[in-house]
Amino acid sequence: MTRTALAALVGVFLALAAPLQAPAQSQPAADLQTLLQDNAELVADASRRTVQDILDILVDSQLPEVPQFLATWQDRELYQRNSDGLFVYVEDGDADPLTLIDISTGEVLGTAGSRDVTQLRPNRGVQGVIAATRVQFQLASDDPARRMAALDSIESDPEESHLALLQGLLDTETDPDLRARIEVILPALVIAFSDEDAPRVAAIESLSGNISLSARATLNPLLATRLELAEALPDGANIARELEPGSDALSREDAYEMLVEEGLAPPRVSRSDILSVLTANIVDGTVGGIPVAELNTEEARDRAYAALVAADLAPPAPSEADVTASLGSVVFFERYLEDSAAVTTAARETLDGIETRVGFYRFLDLSLDGISLASIYFLAAIGLAITFGVMGVINMAHGEFIMIGAYTGFVVQSLVPNETASLAIAIPLAFVVTFMAGVAMERLVIRWLYHRPLETLLATFGISIALQQIVRLVFGALTQPLTPPDWLAGSVTLNDVVSISSVRVAIFILAALFFVVLWLILNRTRLGLEVRAVTQNPAMAASMGINPDRINMLTFGLGSGIAGIAGVAIGLFAQVVPDMGTNYIVQSFMTVVVGGVGNIFGTLVGASMIGGLQKAIEWLNPTNTLAAQTYMILFVILFIQFRPRGIIALRGRAAGD
Amino acid sequence: MKKLLLASACAAMSVTAAQADIKVGVLHSTTGTMAISETTLRDVMLMLIEQQNAAGGLLGEQLVPVVVDGASDWPTFAERTRELLTVEEVDVIFCCWTSTSRKAILPVVEELGGIVFYPVQYEGEESSLNVFYTGAAPNQQAIPAVDYFLEELGVESFALLGTDYVYPRTTNRILEQYLLDAGIPQENIFVNYTPFGHSDWSSIVADVVALGETGAQVGVISTINGDANVGFYNELIAQGVTADDIPVVAFSVGEEELSGLDTEPLVGHLAAWNYFMSADTPENEAFIAAWHEFTGDDTRVTNDPMEAHYIGFQMWVAAVEAAGTTEPDAVRAAMYGLQVPNLTGGMAEMLPNHHLTKPVLIGEIRADGQFDIISQTDPVPGDAWTDFLPESSVLVSNWPGLGCGMYNTETETCVQLQSNY
Amino acid sequence: MGNSIFVRNRSVPIFIAVLALVALCVTFLSPAYGTGALSVSFTKVLGMTLCLCLAALAMDLVWGYCGILSLGHFAFFGLGGYMIGMWLMTARTEAVIRANLAESPIPPTEAEVSQATALQIFSVVGAEDWPWMWAVSDSLVLSLVMVVLVPGLLALVFGWLAFRSRVTGVYLSILTQAMTLALSLYLFQNDTGLRGNNGLSGLQNIPGAEAIGQERLSVWFFWASALALGLGYIGAAWLVSGKFGNILRGIRDDELRVRFLGYPVEVYKLVVFTLSAMICGVAGALYYPQAGIINPDEIAPIASIYLAVWVAIGGRGRLYGAVIGAAVVSLLSTYFTSGRAPDVDLGFYEISWIDWWPVLLGLGFVLVTLFAPRGLAGLFDYVVRRQDP
Repeated sequence: MTRTALAALVGVFLALAAPLQAPAQSQPAADLQTLLQDNAELVADASRRTVQDILDILVDSQLPEVPQFLATWQDRELYQRNSDGLFVYVEDGDADPLTLIDISTGEVLGTAGSRDVTQLRPNRGVQGVIAATRVQFQLASDDPARRMAALDSIESDPEESHLALLQGLLDTETDPDLRARIEVILPALVIAFSDEDAPRVAAIESLSGNISLSARATLNPLLATRLELAEALPDGANIARELEPGSDALSREDAYEMLVEEGLAPPRVSRSDILSVLTANIVDGTVGGIPVAELNTEEARDRAYAALVAADLAPPAPSEADVTASLGSVVFFERYLEDSAAVTTAARETLDGIETRVGFYRFLDLSLDGISLASIYFLAAIGLAITFGVMGVINMAHGEFIMIGAYTGFVVQSLVPNETASLAIAIPLAFVVTFMAGVAMERLVIRWLYHRPLETLLATFGISIALQQIVRLVFGALTQPLTPPDWLAGSVTLNDVVSISSVRVAIFILAALFFVVLWLILNRTRLGLEVRAVTQNPAMAASMGINPDRINMLTFGLGSGIAGIAGVAIGLFAQVVPDMGTNYIVQSFMTVVVGGVGNIFGTLVGASMIGGLQKAIEWLNPTNTLAAQTYMILFVILFIQFRPRGIIALRGRAAGD
Repeated sequence: MKKLLLASACAAMSVTAAQADIKVGVLHSTTGTMAISETTLRDVMLMLIEQQNAAGGLLGEQLVPVVVDGASDWPTFAERTRELLTVEEVDVIFCCWTSTSRKAILPVVEELGGIVFYPVQYEGEESSLNVFYTGAAPNQQAIPAVDYFLEELGVESFALLGTDYVYPRTTNRILEQYLLDAGIPQENIFVNYTPFGHSDWSSIVADVVALGETGAQVGVISTINGDANVGFYNELIAQGVTADDIPVVAFSVGEEELSGLDTEPLVGHLAAWNYFMSADTPENEAFIAAWHEFTGDDTRVTNDPMEAHYIGFQMWVAAVEAAGTTEPDAVRAAMYGLQVPNLTGGMAEMLPNHHLTKPVLIGEIRADGQFDIISQTDPVPGDAWTDFLPESSVLVSNWPGLGCGMYNTETETCVQLQSNY
Repeated sequence: MGNSIFVRNRSVPIFIAVLALVALCVTFLSPAYGTGALSVSFTKVLGMTLCLCLAALAMDLVWGYCGILSLGHFAFFGLGGYMIGMWLMTARTEAVIRANLAESPIPPTEAEVSQATALQIFSVVGAEDWPWMWAVSDSLVLSLVMVVLVPGLLALVFGWLAFRSRVTGVYLSILTQAMTLALSLYLFQNDTGLRGNNGLSGLQNIPGAEAIGQERLSVWFFWASALALGLGYIGAAWLVSGKFGNILRGIRDDELRVRFLGYPVEVYKLVVFTLSAMICGVAGALYYPQAGIINPDEIAPIASIYLAVWVAIGGRGRLYGAVIGAAVVSLLSTYFTSGRAPDVDLGFYEISWIDWWPVLLGLGFVLVTLFAPRGLAGLFDYVVRRQDP
């Protein structure tokens, strides 16, 4: 902390001290340091569970420097001198040596090295408790910003004492922003802490149709239940439902387990129980008259156990009939932890209404995720749709072009610190770099192999592993940061359920843009016409005055360049590592093949199908993303068996062979 | 052609003439997917060996590093271990990162009787006579971190997110049981596994945020491995999830992983380790200075597995000096109870179960990519077999005392002498 | 032996002779039966290389002779390894469990042994029951049958689906790649029964052979691998030399024309694809007990691509080409990544082979495809042809 900031803070606490009403009784005002030293451990090793004790002592002391002390403590600017345990402030935490300052007088106490003092770092839990305690000082502040900060603390960490404070503030507060904020926060506090049913029910109903997370978080705890059993349903209890043992909600085993725990039934005897009883009753190499050596079957062990039961050496195992009878003698039910039926009924109804809407928005959110994933697949595959789909070149190094694009972005960003500017440079630059790389590769390698497509695969695979390793040698194997500019860092939020990160929206827009541009290039320009001509019949195209070499070179460069731009986009939300390309290559080929080669519309459809499908499977089994990928690929394999030419199959001569 | 090749290969093998020097095998992946983490460990070993040689070597001899590449391929790890032990005849091996690579070399070192130091936090449930585990066992990292969540942050609803492999799986299984025992209901525990290098985190983060609708404070325990963390944290940032809303404690994110991220928006999220670079001790200062000098790059970070190798190496050196020989059995006997200073101001002691005592540090991410140490326990003894799973709670490991790494205390028998690979 | 394969195909006797010579050499240099100039680990590397050669041979059958570029052949190789691995793990663990339970006061039931074995094997993935695919893992004979049956069956079903709908060329390659990716992702999952990412480990400890020691076992496995490669070579040579082989080559060169001649192209392709998968399964079953560990990484798509590359470098369409390619590339890779290759100091930059080897390898692929489309074996032709006239 700098000296000026400290001075400002000291000023603020003096200002703060004034509105603090002096209470009737006044203790002999001990000095702050003494109070702290008496509870040194609570301060130095503060824990969420115990810190309230020292906070109460400090608040009760009425000392004027307490608010500032709390603020400093919460901000982790409090230090303790190791030699004598004195609590001190320091002038500037980065200085060496540190200048120590007295916590009450603000006087300079001398200097100390960084290892002579311990910086006290209360954890977030403790910080929260301190913040909740500071609320009373902050709400009394003249500064609306500080009152707003207090409201933030209340919202994140509400306490019973806050209810009265907040209701009091509502009567006096004049600032409209603050009033609006209080009205948002208040219902939750009323529901949680009010003693009367009527205002609580009213507060619950005021949340009707509110799908925000905090509204649901307020209502759900009211409906918490506890599983209990009794001989008959207790009168007057707020019971959620009765449960039948053996149903989905309560298995027979669990129900019987509860009975056993209550001491209402004898425990079942398991195989391992039998074994340990038998082991404990070995007499002269026999158990219940059966030689130990013969006890290697379950049937023999059952006989031996029965013999022990008969000899009263072991407890009898309850039969199935006994279990059924025991279960029949009691009722199992769920009881609301909340005693007021009016409150739980209102909460149930309000929540049901909310949940229907949430369900709808969830579906919307999932669909957006699916679209987003599809656009990522599309972006990764669209370059391939040109080089593979249109030209028929199997470029295994396609993933590496994506990687090179991302690294171009990283290099630009490390040279141009402004993120927006660097992105504006990186996108065209990535295109240029990968365009050149593509052209070089086409000229040097691929053009010799047009009549041997499978060997293109091998050659480009060789290039792929070489490129990966070269990048690893140049940039190292570590993940490199590619940070999106601030305007892309957040998310587009409709409500608490539906939101999608801005980068993903940008990728969607980019994908859409690429689709339109490429479609126009291929179908509406001279170049597109020539490309289609060359890929369908190079000899004929050549005799019509088209230079197939030039066209192939440009097309391949175009596909590679687009992969480069895709790399920049992907790097904004995923990791930039030398082998990032391998994550996309198989998926991209599948996208193109499923969609149907030869036209980028097919790629769009393929990406939508793969992305949508994967999200749908993930939704069915949210705990295991790997399974979703596996089944998606299996589906693709089967799908291709039935539509070998993909969803959008070219017909006639355009189909090539 | 083939014969020629064979001859040249044979020639290459026989170069290893007997030399008086002490050989230290360093087996880490410097190529392939794991190179990202393991290259640093190779470098730190080279630095430690160089330091030791500069200080006069060991037993009057120079240490010679034998560096081989595991190539991120598990059969290669096994093969290279055999080579190190039989062809190069190294006296000790510092090895591995992933559990799979450790499991791959176990049968080989147990057969040939070498000594291996394994420096990475792992899932436990193992104790081999031939391996010293200098990383954290679950009770030295995961359990204290969860206690911190329960006690200090008041977390009541847990999302256990992990990469789909043995370390997250076992750790989460232990934690799930631990949380159930602590009274957290099953429906408040959300578990999710993703593949290595996963990048599509949007729905998973949304699912985690939605856990908050029950009104419980949500916390994330992340065993997400390696570069998948980039996408995960980016998605947290994008969805505006701060450490105040949903704290994330990670067991596989250290200083090195953070260097690939913009840490500004991540301030306050947590990591649990036994070492942080920001530890303010003279030992650590010297270590960092030496590291910067060795790499010639004063922006290079240090991390927990590096400290583990540091402790392991110092311990091996001390044991060799105590035993007066590099012979594995003698060195092993000298290891037990040995204490060397760690880098965070305490002592690390080698326990009879081949694990260390380590302090558990919980750090909050700072804007500069370092961690604020907000909690540091006294050294916790590492537990090879967890107490929180029924089948392993009855097992203990005590090599000098019981001569067994998998001793069943109920039946009082040694389940097996070899480890469970 | 008038019309035997040894006469019809000159490469067969030469190959068998060379293989026998190598086997003899290895034996006399091995630590167990000879001078000990070869280390155990290098003996294992050689044995494993022979298995890879066998897989390359199988690959050459489908690609070099029938034109099917399968980029998923390592899936079959891995499956073979998994099948034998299940038996190795079960038998080894069960022996340990029996020895341990024998000390308990009351003798264990069979169910207890089985349960404890399962717990020991699967506790690493948090399970304690036998998954269904381990049903025959307690029987060596049935496991050996599975080694050929499972890869064969997968190839049969996959091939039937793909060839029936006339997925050919590049599309088939991508589809096979998707197949191996799906299989490896499936195996990666923790709860699919094959121990997820851990895979099966400790496979070099052959149950019942603990006393023999790795020194001798490594040589035995080398012999077994050499035998399998020899038999595989003879079988493959026989297969491609007769009418069957001619039709295969016909399909490779012009599938449509062969179909129009009335041959059931799909059946031929299916037979050779399935056979090749079975050979791969055998190769895998011999490979992984030497490697010691198998996990889903092994069958990631890149492994299968490498297999194709070996065949291409060696020279496809000739069996010895595949073997040479696999042996040369995999041994060179082992040599250069082991750190034994001396670094080259250029004065301003030191080339470390560990770092630069993948670059070299990649560029090597490019050069071979561009300038030696017939591979290393093609160089032989060149030499032979120059001497002939």
